[in-house]
Parts: sequence; structure tokens; C-alpha cells
Amino acid sequence: MKLYRVHSETGDPFVIVHDQKGNKDILKTENAEFEIEYLGQGWREGEYLVKINGEEHRVYVDNGWIVLDNAELFRAERITELPTQEGQSIEEMIRGKEGEVISPLQGRVVQIRVKEGDAVNKGQPLLSVEAMKSETIISAPISGIVEKILVKQGQGVKKGDVLIVIK
Amino acid sequence: MPPFGKVLVANRGEIAVRVMKAVKEMGMKAVAVYSEADKYALHVRYADEAYYIGASPALESYLNISHIIDAAEKAHADAVHPGYGFLSENADFAEAVEKAGMTYIGPSAEVMRKIKDKLDGKRYAQLSGVPIAPGSDGPVGTIDEALKIAEKIGYPIMVKAASGGGGVGITKVDTPDQLIDVWERNKRMALQAFGKSDLYIEKAAVNPRHIEFQLIGDKYGSYVVAWERECTIQRRNQKLIEEAPSPAITMEERSRMFEPIMKFGKLIDYFTLGTFETVFSDTSREFYFLELNKRLQVEHPVTEMIFRLDLVKLQIRLAAGEHLPFTQEELNRRAKGSAIEFRINSEDPLNNFTGSSGFITYYREPTGPGVRVDSGVEAGSWVPPFYDSLISKLIVYGEDRQTAVTTAMRALDDYKIGGVKTTIPLYKLIMRDPDFMEGKFSTAYISQKFDSMKEALKKREEMLASLATVVHARGLMRKKGIPSTPQERQGRSSNWKNYGIVLQSSPRVMWG
Repeated sequence: MKLYRVHSETGDPFVIVHDQKGNKDILKTENAEFEIEYLGQGWREGEYLVKINGEEHRVYVDNGWIVLDNAELFRAERITELPTQEGQSIEEMIRGKEGEVISPLQGRVVQIRVKEGDAVNKGQPLLSVEAMKSETIISAPISGIVEKILVKQGQGVKKGDVLIVIK
Repeated sequence: MPPFGKVLVANRGEIAVRVMKAVKEMGMKAVAVYSEADKYALHVRYADEAYYIGASPALESYLNISHIIDAAEKAHADAVHPGYGFLSENADFAEAVEKAGMTYIGPSAEVMRKIKDKLDGKRYAQLSGVPIAPGSDGPVGTIDEALKIAEKIGYPIMVKAASGGGGVGITKVDTPDQLIDVWERNKRMALQAFGKSDLYIEKAAVNPRHIEFQLIGDKYGSYVVAWERECTIQRRNQKLIEEAPSPAITMEERSRMFEPIMKFGKLIDYFTLGTFETVFSDTSREFYFLELNKRLQVEHPVTEMIFRLDLVKLQIRLAAGEHLPFTQEELNRRAKGSAIEFRINSEDPLNNFTGSSGFITYYREPTGPGVRVDSGVEAGSWVPPFYDSLISKLIVYGEDRQTAVTTAMRALDDYKIGGVKTTIPLYKLIMRDPDFMEGKFSTAYISQKFDSMKEALKKREEMLASLATVVHARGLMRKKGIPSTPQERQGRSSNWKNYGIVLQSSPRVMWG
């Protein structure tokens, strides 16, 4: 079993648990599970045939772009393997630790409203990130104590970056 | 004879290119203006001439009247087309263009000043018999007054900024408590955004449709109404999908609106293109006037498709003082088929439709029968974060609505944009929704269906990411893709192995 983080070229991160059994790959993501079976080369140059959850699809690889059924487009900017820890459940691997506050978008940190050591309630605003002139306020996912603040005011952040750890 | 020699287009992106196409077809020269961010933009290269007008923020370039007039004078332009958005409904701009001795392609400053804000529009609507929603007759002064009027007409109500536009400054209110809550905040917001804090109240229609009528007039008092456009599919008062004709109204209901709208036009001496936005209730079968848009609309192509007209050319001709070339009866006979427009926005539907700026790294446009693309970008274009997120429009046409929808499905599949997030995946889902097929929707459509659509979009992305992982893990990524040079096609990308042999076998070497 392997754990991957896939960054799409538009900046969206995906954490995927990948299991390979012969021609079949089982992949678990945050909201879904896919069984992808590799059927082999297609009839045409550069074409592969796969079965996704039992349905047959055509895949083209065009200069790093993946074109599915000549309709959907995807490009992985980078795919990195993440270390897995013994005894960690699949859900934990995908979601990250419970108290990790993750940036939902790419932008710049404009204001941090808490200090390390502060007690926060669930839903309390922690910091705001500005992108394309609009400010997004990020609130605490759980109640607890701010253990670590990993960003500074004015710092640029990517989607999926850990901003604050609450314990 | 073309009506003008040179036309300056005071806009950017998709609409600038669209207007320039009409200008070129009429045998005139097209002039572009551009900001720092648009140095390499498509509209700049498409024009015959282009002038730099300032830094990237719109206030210093596309909204800067004196810079644009300077450019127009430098270019010796005869006319200025404002497009939509930016300065298109700014009376001061129209006046400045007229003062500089050029023709403004749109209504005159004088006409624009007659209907400065939404309340003026309502007053004229009342005079000409265009039905309006019950509410306050003018701006509402105090919160007490507001509560009293709200009580009289009944909740829910809409609190609107008198000088607002583009869906900004409109709030729906369900209870008196909420009204008190919203009042001061909206006043402040209206002052900040539009420089005037006037608010007014209107009864909110429950699950309405948004239907707008296209008025066309010349300078001699003749008018026609080029039917309607249904712009009901919106999110946060921003239109996403528009179609013509509306699947919800009958010919009788449609033609009932023609007379009062033409009368409205006559009343204010309106000429060239104007759009009457109305809300339409499926249950009461009534139209209520919202506002008059004094410009070319984003969604004008759907009207062009069903009437086989070129509204931009017509607009230019009418501004030059030509007569309307057809009557209402002739126009009615021209109407045929059904057209749908999709606004391709560089936005992330999964992240609350926040704008997505970046380089377009993959771009394939759909073509073929019944498909039209009005695009402001191409492969390699940069989508700057300073302006509207609309990058392109896909328009499909079919002999009936059903055909148009199937063409749309095909064209949306064919339209591939990489590098920025777009609204295309969302439209693919909407096209497969039975409620859309049957024309059963209201302005709440997106908000009602969004949760399930969001889930489907999320799953689709995760599926693609999973597929990418599989392709990567199996080492299939190394394939280079479709070869683009003859050498690659023959399976050789480099000639180093053959170079020596080729050289030695050349006659020059063999025979000295």
C-alpha cells in the first residue's frame, strides 16, 4: 500500500491511498473509492484502455496531459509519495490529523487572529487568506489549544498547506 | 460604404474581439486599447492598431476616461464602441466621446442621464405601462419607513441599491429582524461601491425566472423588440447560462410585452440596443420590470443565432444614423430554432466560484455545425486577476431546444481548457439534468442543486487524480503524445545517428 499526494496543475492537492493487485489498482480518496483495471494498449497510437469501477474508458496521454474519453482533461503537476505510519487508518492518512488547519486556496495570509497557546472554540475565526482581492476567513475545525502556527502574516500559501495545528 | 473609418473598442477580452470582428467585416479599421496586464492579450493582437492606456488595475486603464479618449484621438478614430461592463453605461464617458468629435456607439449621454439609476427606470416603466413589482416609489429614507412598506407589501422583500448593477447590492430579506440587520450594512456597502447610499424596497418574487427583452431602436423613433432571452440559470445574481427563446413563455405572453417596451423607448428617445430585464413568475404569468441595460449584453449571441442577425453591426449602423432595416412583423418571421449560451468563466465551482488566474496551458476549441465560440483567449494566454473572470462564451444552435442541448453536450466535451479552472464541468452536469431538459428551473436552480453537483464534481476530480496516479505508477506517462513534426512521426526525434551517412552519401562528397 502506498500513499500519494497528487497536485493538479491548477493547484488542487489530492491524497490518494493506492493498492496494486496485478492488473487492478484500488484507489481511495477523500470522498470515493475507485477500482481501475489496466486493460492494455488501445487500437490507436498513444491510447490506453482502462476499466474504472467496471466501466470501460479510453485514455490518451498527450504531453503530460491525461485525456479521458476525449472529454475530460487532467494534468498532475507533481505526484509525491508520502511516508505511511504503522497503525494509521486509511481515513487518517487521507484527512490528515484532526487538528490540522489546511488552506483551502492559494493566496496570501493577511491576518492571524490567534497566538500559540490560545484556547479556541470550534468555528472561531483563526486567520484570513487573501486571493484575487477577496478575503477568506478560515475558522477552527475543532475546539482546543493552538499548538503551532506554521505561517507568518504576509506569507504566500498554497492550497493544501498546513497553516495551524490545534490540539 | 462603411459608416466609419476607424472604430476604437474601449474594452478587453472576449467582447473586444467580438466587436472587432464586426468592425473588420464592415470594412473599417479596429483599434484596441490595453493595460499592462493585457500586453500580450488576444484582443490586442487581433486589432489593426493598439494603444497602451495604463497600469493593470481597471481604474487606471479600462475605467480611465481621459486615457481612452487620448488613445482615440491619437488613433484618429471616428467612433468608440464601449462593449459591456467597464465604461459601457457611463454617461460621462459617452459625453467625453461626443465632445471629442467622435460617435459613441450606444445611447447618447443625454438619454443615459434620463435613467441614471434603477428607480428612474421604474418610474418610466410605470408611465409606459411596463409592469413593475410592488414596493417603494422612491428611495426609502429611514428604517422605520422601510419596515412600514415591507409590512404593507409582505415578506419576502428585496432591498436594492438604487445605483447598483451587476448583481451587487441586492439582498433578499425574509423577516423584519433581518431587515433591521441588513439596512445599515447595505447602505454602507452601496455608498462604498456606487457613491450613493439610496436604497429601495421591492416585493421579491418566489422562485422567479429572469427574462430580458431586447429593444432595438433607431434615431427616428422606430422600434422593434427582438424577443427575449432567458437568463435564469445564475449563481449569486451572476448569469451562467442563457437561452433564446425562453422555454417557459408563449408567443401571446411575449408579444404582450412588445407595446409597453417600445413605448418606454419612445418616452426617453432611446436608440441602438437596450435590454429590459424582468422577472417572470411561473405561477402568476406576470413580468415585473427590473432595469434597463443601456448597452450590448454579454448574452447577445443567442438572439443573433435565432434571428440570424449581427447585433453589433446593427448597433454600429444605428449609431451612424441609419434606419431600422426591418419591422416587428418581419423580425417575428425570422425567428427560428433555439440557442443556448454558456459563459466560460475561469472560476473554481468547487471553491465557491473564486476566480482562477493563470496561464492557459491547454486549449482546444469546439467547432462544427451549430457551434460558435466567442473567445478572448487562446493557448498560452494569461488570465489576469484584475478583471472579470469571463474568458470565453460557447454558443450552440439547434432547430429546437432538444437539438441545441445535444449539440451543447458534444461541444462542452470538445471544449478543453487546461491551466485554469473553468465552469465547463459544471455545465456538463447541468446538461444531463432532466429538470434543465424540461425547462423547469428558477433563479434558485444552482443554489438548490449545488450540493449534489458539487459532490459529483469532486468525485470526478478525484477520479481523474486517481487515474493520473495509476498512469504514473504504471509508467505510461512517458509517452510523448501526438507527434507534431515529420521526424517525430517517423519515430525519430533526432537525426544524429544518420547525419554522417547522409552527409557522405551526398553527391558533393562522392563526386568532389
